[in-house]
Amino acid sequence: MEQAQGRLWVLLVYKVPREPTSSRAYVWRKLKKLGAQLIHDAVWVLPATAWTREQLQWLSVEISELGGEALLWESRLTLNGQEESLVKLFQARVDTVYQEILDELEREEADLIALSRKYQQVRAQDYFQSPLGTLVRTRLLIARGGYDA
Amino acid sequence: MKWVTWEQVGVDRMACAWLIKNYLDPQAEFLFVPVGAKPLPQGAEPFDIPGVRLSHHRGHATFHTMLRAYDLSDPTLERIARLVDEADVVQEVALEPAAPGLDLICRGIRLISPDDWVALQRGGLIYDALYAQLHAETSEG
Repeated sequence: MEQAQGRLWVLLVYKVPREPTSSRAYVWRKLKKLGAQLIHDAVWVLPATAWTREQLQWLSVEISELGGEALLWESRLTLNGQEESLVKLFQARVDTVYQEILDELEREEADLIALSRKYQQVRAQDYFQSPLGTLVRTRLLIARGGYDA
Repeated sequence: MKWVTWEQVGVDRMACAWLIKNYLDPQAEFLFVPVGAKPLPQGAEPFDIPGVRLSHHRGHATFHTMLRAYDLSDPTLERIARLVDEADVVQEVALEPAAPGLDLICRGIRLISPDDWVALQRGGLIYDALYAQLHAETSEG
């Protein structure tokens, strides 16, 4: 991701047959799980890393197996400031979940097992290393009690 | 025979190569091509490349596809297939806590290996170990 030219993003545009609806839901849930952002109900976007590229390549193949069509692109934003906004969009999403965990941790009977799982899941989608994530990690370790607390 | 896959092997391809060496073709010779390279070399069976026969199918990683393609039925291999599925592709349901760790270790093996051949060889040890331990657990039960 060379700074001079801007970050590279992977873009997925796809179509799956209307029926069965389970196929559509399957692809949609996978993209959500990857932490991809749907821009203007049209294009799914992820920052380009070896991992996101590979995941979307496999998903594109799956989409064709489901009788659909997928186009996978790599591109850069060219207008000033747009890249920053897009990064913020990704950060905002994970930060919302991190904040939920922090709020839950304030409660008397916080379910630490469920919250640590939630942390692991959102961390996998934290492509820009949110500082809030580090805070959640520390708080979870403190809430656990015991020797390091 | 010859087998070909993309270079920079990871968790799934190490598992597949281990399966090939131990169950299908002890004399297997592996070739590596750059990601996306076309056409693929003639006379070599491609695996874990999008669009080929031995590849991801129906949400499963290539290791799972190979078990089906070669009729290998072994509960321990099935368990490894589940682990590789969860390590290699995002899954909605996660049942194997070791999966993300397996992925990390396999990536690390590639990082410390001079080339893909050495990485496959070293990865083989991980899968020997995994098989032995999972098999022991199954037998105890």
